[in-house]
Amino acid sequence: MSVLTISNLTIKHREETLVQNIRLSINEGDWLALVGESGSGKSVTSSSIGGLLPRELIISSGSIHLGGVNLSSLKEKEWRTYRGKAISYIFQDYQGAFTPFMSIGAQFDEMLKTHLNDSKQLRKSRALECLNNVNLPAERVYKSYPFQLSGGQLQRAAIAMATILKPKLLIADEPTTALDSITAAHVLQLLAEQQKQTNCAVLFITHDLRHVRKFANKMAVMRKGEIVESGMTTAVLKHPKHAYTKALIAAIPSLKQTKERLVTI
Amino acid sequence: MKQAGKRLFELVLFLFILSFISFVFMKAAPGDPVRYMLNIDDVSITDEQVEELRNELGFNEPLYVQYWNWLIRFFQFDLGESYMTKQPVLQELINKVPSTLALTFSSMAVMMLIAAPIGTLAALYKNKWIDHLSRIFALIGASVPSFWLGLLFMQLFSVKLGILPAMGKGTFLHLLLPSLTLGIAMAAVYVRLLRSSLLESLGQDFIKSARARGLSQKRIFFFHAFRHSLTPVITIFGVSLGSLLGGTVIIEVLFAYPGVGKLVVEAIVRRDYPVIQGYILFMGLFVVMINLLVDLSYRYLNPEIRLRGGDKG
Amino acid sequence: MINRLRTTNSVILLMGLFLIAIIIAPFIAPFDPNQVNMANRLKPVSLEHFLGTDHLGRDVFSRILAGAQTTVGTSFLVLAISLLLGVPIGLVSGYIGGRLDRILMRVVDAFMAFPDYIAAIILSGLLGPGIFNLIFAIVMVKWVGYARLARSTVLTEKQKDYILIAKVNGVGSMNILRRHMIPHVLGNVMVLATLDAGKIILMIASLSYIGLGAQPPTPEWGAMLNEAKAFFYNAPHLMLIPGLAIMVIVLIFNLFGDYLRDYYDVKNQNGGR
Repeated sequence: MSVLTISNLTIKHREETLVQNIRLSINEGDWLALVGESGSGKSVTSSSIGGLLPRELIISSGSIHLGGVNLSSLKEKEWRTYRGKAISYIFQDYQGAFTPFMSIGAQFDEMLKTHLNDSKQLRKSRALECLNNVNLPAERVYKSYPFQLSGGQLQRAAIAMATILKPKLLIADEPTTALDSITAAHVLQLLAEQQKQTNCAVLFITHDLRHVRKFANKMAVMRKGEIVESGMTTAVLKHPKHAYTKALIAAIPSLKQTKERLVTI
Repeated sequence: MKQAGKRLFELVLFLFILSFISFVFMKAAPGDPVRYMLNIDDVSITDEQVEELRNELGFNEPLYVQYWNWLIRFFQFDLGESYMTKQPVLQELINKVPSTLALTFSSMAVMMLIAAPIGTLAALYKNKWIDHLSRIFALIGASVPSFWLGLLFMQLFSVKLGILPAMGKGTFLHLLLPSLTLGIAMAAVYVRLLRSSLLESLGQDFIKSARARGLSQKRIFFFHAFRHSLTPVITIFGVSLGSLLGGTVIIEVLFAYPGVGKLVVEAIVRRDYPVIQGYILFMGLFVVMINLLVDLSYRYLNPEIRLRGGDKG
Repeated sequence: MINRLRTTNSVILLMGLFLIAIIIAPFIAPFDPNQVNMANRLKPVSLEHFLGTDHLGRDVFSRILAGAQTTVGTSFLVLAISLLLGVPIGLVSGYIGGRLDRILMRVVDAFMAFPDYIAAIILSGLLGPGIFNLIFAIVMVKWVGYARLARSTVLTEKQKDYILIAKVNGVGSMNILRRHMIPHVLGNVMVLATLDAGKIILMIASLSYIGLGAQPPTPEWGAMLNEAKAFFYNAPHLMLIPGLAIMVIVLIFNLFGDYLRDYYDVKNQNGGR
C-alpha cells in the first residue's frame, strides 16, 4: 500500500525551476533512497513533502499525497497534525536537530505535548523508553543539553524523537553526512531497526551509494531537478540504464580496487 | 566568572584613573572651592577665614598626602560633605538614587514596549511596510537629540494639550514624559538589532527541526527563536549602557527631575567636588552591577555557560 | 527610498553639498550672528528674518549657519585628535605586541569599562564649562575606540600571508607598517569615524545644552536650545529650528556612515562603541 505518492511535482524559485515533474511512490515498509549530487533537488523535494520549503520556493504544479490527504493543499495550522506525527524528519546537521538552550527532555516533552494528551509522567516515560530503544543512557540524555552530547548521540536522539510517534513516513535527509563513517554505520543500523519496529516508510536522501546498497530496497536517481532513473536497488545498481547512474556507480571508491581511479561525471 | 573578574579589575583600574584625574583637576581647576563655600554663607570673607577653612579641609597639606587621604576615604565610601548643602555626600546620593533608578527602569520598560513588538513585526514581515517603517524610525531615532525630543514632548503634552506635567517629580505622570523621551531614543537602536537578530535566529537549523516536529508557529517563535535572538541584544545592551546613563543625566536636567544626574550637573557647575566624586563611585558600582546582570542573563539564556562555567559571548 | 539612497551615490552628493554649505555658511548669512538688537526681539518668521529672531534680537538663521560651523567643526576636531591619538597607539600596540600591547590594552579596556557619556560629562565638568574642555573630554573617551580598531586591524592583517612574505623578503618594519598596514587601518577607521561623527555631534550638542560645552553667546545648536528653553511658551519656534538642524546633520552623517560601512563591509570590531 502506498504511503506517499508524489505526482508531477514542480518547484520553482521565481523563474528558475528547481524540481521538475517528479513522480515518486513509497510503500509501507519501503526504504527508498533518493540519490544525486548536491544541488540536484533532493533536499528541496524532501522539504516540500513536510511543507518546510522556504517562502521563496513555490510548488507550481503537481501534488503530494500522504495516504489519502493532499499535503500540498494544507494550511499552516492543518500541517501540525501531520508534521512530527505522520511525517518526521532527521536532518544532516545534528547540531541543528535540537534547540541549543533547551534540554533534550524538555524538547521531547514539548513535542509530545503538541501531539498527544498524555499526562506528564506518561510523556516522560515514553521519551525515556524511546531513548532507551536507540541505545542511549536514557535518564542522562533526557536531562542533558545538546552541547553535552556527541554527534552520534545527538543523531540517535533525533532518530528517537522522529520515531516516537510511529510516523508513517520518516524522511532522513543526509543523516550521516556530518558523521564519521563508523558512527554513520551505527546510526543507519539503528534507523533500520527502528523501521522494522514501526514498519514506517523511509525516504533516505543521500549521495553515498554504499549506504544505498546496504539499506535501501528501492532507489531513485536525481539530476538537475529530474528523476532520471528509479527502481529496485539491486536492479538499478546492477544494470544502470542512464549514463548518469553509471557514472555515479563508477565513482564509488571500492575497497577491492587496488588502483585509484578518478571518474569525471 | 573569569570574565566578570576581569571586568571588575578593569573597572577598579578605571575608577583609580578617574579618581586620579578628578583629583588633579580638582586641584588645578579654576575657581577656588573654599571661596565658593564661603560665598554661599553670604558673609564678608576675610583672608583668615579662607585660611582657616583651608586648614580644616586639609588643603594645605602636600598634594600627594591629600590624594592619599582622599583615596583612602574614597574606597571606604566616606565621600565627605557636599560643599553646597553641608550634607554628607552619601546621604545626598541615597536620597537621589531611587529617582534615577525609577527613571532608568521605566525608560527601559518604554524601550522594550516599543522595540519588542516593532522589531518582531519587522522581522516577521521582512521588506513589508512595517519593516520599512521600522527602518525609518531607527534612522531618525538615532539622529534625533534626546533633549530636543523631550522639549517637543513638553511642548505637545504639557503646553498644547496640557495633559502631562512638564517638570519635576512626584507622581507617576511626572515620570511619563522623561521615560518616554529616553525610551524612544533608545528603542531606535534595539528595533533594528532585534529584527536582524530574530531573522538570524529564524534561519537556524534548529528552527527547521522544530517545525518538522510539528510545533506551533507561536511556540517556535517565542520559545525557540525569540529567546535565541536575545543574546546579541543583551550584549549590545551591556555595551551601550553608557548612552542610557548619559541620557538620564541630560533628561533629568531637561525635565528638572531631581535624580543623581541633575545633582551631578549642579555639582559640576558649582565645583562641588565631593558630590562629583560620589557620583563617580556610584556610577562605577552601577556599571558593575549591570555587567553582573548581563553575565547572569547569559547564564540563563545559554546553559552552556551555566554548566561549563566557560566564557562565551 | 532609503535603499535607493544607499545604492546610488546621492548620499555622497548630499554629504558634499552639506559640507560645502557649512564652509560657505558665514558668507551667505544675512546678519552677524552675534549682533544684538533689543528692539527686534523674539520676532516670528518674516522675509527679513527667515527663521525669526531670538531673545536678544539676533537673527536665528544666521546663528544656525554659524552654529553649523561650531557644532560640525568641533566634532571634526574631536575626531581628528582622537584619530591622531588612537590610531598610532593602536598600530604600535598591535604591531609590536608583547608586554607593551598588554599594558596599553589594559588601559584601553579600563577606559571602555566606564560609560563614555558619563565619563565625558564628568571630565568636561571637572575641567569647567567651555568648548575646548569639552573637546578634550570627548577626545579622552573616544580615542580608545580608534586604538582598539587600529590594533585589531593590524592583528588581523599580520596573520595574512602577504605580510609574512614581505617579512621573509626582508622588508623593514617601518615599510610594512607604512605600505601595508596603514592603508587597511585607515579604511576601517574612516568608516568608524563617519559612524561616530553623528554620535559626537549629539554628544557636543547635549553637553552644550546642559551648559557644559559652548557658552553663550557662541552660536552652537545645543547652547541655542538651552537659551531658547526660557522662551518655551512665548517663542516655541526658537527651539524647533536648532533641534531640527542637529537632527538633519546627524541623519546625513549616519546615512553616509551606513553607506560607507556597506561599501567597505566592515564589521564593528571595537565592541560596539
